[in-house]
Amino acid sequence: MAAVAPDPPTPPDPPPARGAAPTGAVPHDDPAHRLGLALVCAAAEPALSGVLLLDLDPRLVDPVARVFGAVLAGADEPARPPLVLGAADRDEDLWTRTRIRGGEHGITVRTGPGPLTEGDDADGAPPLVVVPDLARLSVAGMRAAVQLLGADVVTVERGGPRRTVRPRARWLAVCRSADVGRVSRHLLDRFALRLSVAGLRLPAPGGALQEPGAAEAREALLAGLADTRRPASGRGIGPVSVDDAAIGRARDLLGPDAGVRRELALLRLARTLAALDGAPSASAGHTDDAARLIGVSVPQSAPERAESDPEPPGTGPEPAGPPGTLPERHGSGGGGRPRTRDGARALRDTGPAEGIGTAPGAAPSPAAGSPYPEDEPAAVRDAVPLSSPRRRTTGPVSTRGTVIGTRRATDLRDIAHVRTVREAAVHQRARRTERFTVSPVDLHSNVRAAAPERVLVLLLDHTCRAGDGNWPEVLAPFLQWAYTSRATVQVIEVGAADAADELRAGSFTARGVLDPRVPAALHRRAGRATPLAHGVELAAQALRRLLRRQGTGPAEAWLVVVTDGRGNVPLRAGHTGRTDGEVAAAGVEDAVEAASRIGAMDRTRLHVAVVDPGREPYGDLPYVLADRLGAIVVDGRRGPGTEAAGG
Amino acid sequence: MNRALPGPRILPYSRVVAQDELKLALELHHVVPRIGGVLMAGPRGTAKSTLVRAFALMAHDALPVTLPINATDDRVVGGWDLDALLRGEPRPQPGLLEDAADKGLLYVDEVNLLDDHLVDIILDVAATGVLSVQREGLDTAKYLSFGLVGTMNPEEGGLRPQLLDRFGLMVTAETLDATARHLLLRTVLDFEEELGREDSAWLAAARRDDARTRERLTAARRRVGDVGVPEHILELCARAAERSEAVGQRGEIVAVLAARALAALEGADRVAPGHLRRVLPMALRHRRPEAVQGDAFDWGPDDEARLQDLFED
Repeated sequence: MAAVAPDPPTPPDPPPARGAAPTGAVPHDDPAHRLGLALVCAAAEPALSGVLLLDLDPRLVDPVARVFGAVLAGADEPARPPLVLGAADRDEDLWTRTRIRGGEHGITVRTGPGPLTEGDDADGAPPLVVVPDLARLSVAGMRAAVQLLGADVVTVERGGPRRTVRPRARWLAVCRSADVGRVSRHLLDRFALRLSVAGLRLPAPGGALQEPGAAEAREALLAGLADTRRPASGRGIGPVSVDDAAIGRARDLLGPDAGVRRELALLRLARTLAALDGAPSASAGHTDDAARLIGVSVPQSAPERAESDPEPPGTGPEPAGPPGTLPERHGSGGGGRPRTRDGARALRDTGPAEGIGTAPGAAPSPAAGSPYPEDEPAAVRDAVPLSSPRRRTTGPVSTRGTVIGTRRATDLRDIAHVRTVREAAVHQRARRTERFTVSPVDLHSNVRAAAPERVLVLLLDHTCRAGDGNWPEVLAPFLQWAYTSRATVQVIEVGAADAADELRAGSFTARGVLDPRVPAALHRRAGRATPLAHGVELAAQALRRLLRRQGTGPAEAWLVVVTDGRGNVPLRAGHTGRTDGEVAAAGVEDAVEAASRIGAMDRTRLHVAVVDPGREPYGDLPYVLADRLGAIVVDGRRGPGTEAAGG
Repeated sequence: MNRALPGPRILPYSRVVAQDELKLALELHHVVPRIGGVLMAGPRGTAKSTLVRAFALMAHDALPVTLPINATDDRVVGGWDLDALLRGEPRPQPGLLEDAADKGLLYVDEVNLLDDHLVDIILDVAATGVLSVQREGLDTAKYLSFGLVGTMNPEEGGLRPQLLDRFGLMVTAETLDATARHLLLRTVLDFEEELGREDSAWLAAARRDDARTRERLTAARRRVGDVGVPEHILELCARAAERSEAVGQRGEIVAVLAARALAALEGADRVAPGHLRRVLPMALRHRRPEAVQGDAFDWGPDDEARLQDLFED
């Protein structure tokens, strides 16, 4: 974990005159302007605490983080050093902070809450957490983000400190659009403010882009904003209502399949823009502004914001109303008849929806890039990335896994401070010393859950089964190896008759071969479609994840592919769940292409075997696949021990 | 070191839009704690966590005892107060399981992401009813009983069957239609706006509604001991569990308890078939073979059709 040193406070320069409009329209084709406004909104509104920048030039991560820190601090305070999270962070780095101090009476140890859990009862600017590459964030970091981002409450229960707070840290994460598939959608969904900033150029104060002073960079970036918007970040915003047209507009813009979190995020952004403009309520025009800001396409026929609509400030909703009813809210505020959720009255017409794409999220603005790249049909997705690896009982001691206990230390690595102090406390009376004393015999170190040491990945193509097949017999050597080495088993299935989606491969992770799902997978009936390419791709993802996770990848992994190679579903159909056009040989070609990515993996730990059922015609396809995979070929008709060819 | 929360900003329970099944499960568990817990599954952004916290605030005026997924085992089973130890005072610090036994509820957000070693601890205590701590100079054994309430997003993986079975009831979050979604957005935005106002009439009205719900639940708790369970209801429940191929017998026991709680909530003197039918999906959906060995929790028309004739008379 590294911290960026803060810049010394710099008196703010007067903003350069750039002819900014006082309110309203966002120049959505200027990434710098959008970024500046987004950072101001995130600073002003705690509900917009997570900012995800897509396709930000890696060289600009630090300058942008400095600017965000300066925006959070405001003009009168120095920016706080951000907390930078990466691939190596562990739970104990994130949630607690142990401080060892030398003093007049010897060394003292104190374990307290970490910076992530600073609550809104603290003074000063909120802390800033920076994730330079979200796709490479450690599992512990991702889990922390899921717990903290946008949370009403977070609870810390770790050795020593207990804490329940409303988190107030702001997060600035960066991710390439091409990598979002490697990030859990569950986590992506937590970032309220997401915008693509490809091609961003920061306006440099005096041309000094490389090492700008934070305050100067902030002023340069915010220079294009309206005067009312620029200083508001530090002091928060007052209550602003959101009218019904704004809500309906959000749904129109994001599409019917967008999650509630996306709609809420867009409306909160619209509300913040309205507050920064000094408007008493957020209207459909503010929703349009918010959509343009994050890069969602707004149809040309969108109604213009009624700037002249008078609305008395401070108008609140009607207090009364039974559960399930709410007063209708118009732009001018005030009450109205209650609307029941039983559909007694239809929602008001929310305007035309032309220009909206079919993706679950929304149509991206051509100028800005989509804030929801994971909605693209071709987006690759990792499975279960937030789960810790299953604990196994064999293998060497892990140094980076989850702490599952402590034991007497044999060296000074990974000392468990809390446990050590407890042990020392037990002996204080016997030692008869004046001060609290820790002796070498008190030292304890952490015991950590080992990552799986052995992994078996089974790719089963059910459509290549002839009759009942003899898969258990053919696969016996691999299953026995998995059993004796306590290997985790990842099963990927294609072509099962009862598959949830016959155009896609299915997958599950078992703790071992004794999991009842594993033998069940060896006896499924064959279906019609063979999405082999999708299955090979899932296998590649699983192996990639296992080999890199938490720095403790498996010592040995086997990929066993049982197939005749005759895939008849192209990879794109596996992604989209639908076929379009003729398939021809695309299913086979895509599978071979996907296999080549596995062939390029770490072969010191990964072994691959293809079980050839010997079906004709096209009997050479398993050999082609094995060649790309770098696999040995096992004759599936004659059973184990009959290796047919070397790969 | 446990710092009090300065006024949690959780949407009031009475203002949580839709999700009637989730609300009913929590209320049934509150009326009859022996149900043993509630598991809520649903996609992201369906107010599962908000609902649990709002319910606890409504029913107990406090947030639930929460087990975070990254808790350390000493905080779960209990240990020593570290600051007191450094001062030379051996002061035991109760763990979350003891706190949960006091309050009757242990809440685990993202329960499917809970680390294995914590799951093992919870299962041991839940199965035996005894928390035995033999470590770090502690030598204690206490009888504990608490209900588990968990929320999970199935996209991130499933639960071990043993842990799944410990949840008496399981409910899935519903997908909202356009009207309900609009109402939800309206409610959340109004709530956030009202938080910024002093003496909000909106919040006062919500608190009054919460108080009425609490009184209704308290009355049901008092009444539930007098609600009779006819013999034919037990037979019906056993046959329904058999038709659903429910694994183990905990499902039918929980179903009867939940039906009794529902009857008490509705002011009935005895459990009727309608009460049982309403709660059967909650009690059995996660005990069917396809749920135990997979992540198929949906209770669909096929499941209903299997039970149809049992309830036709």
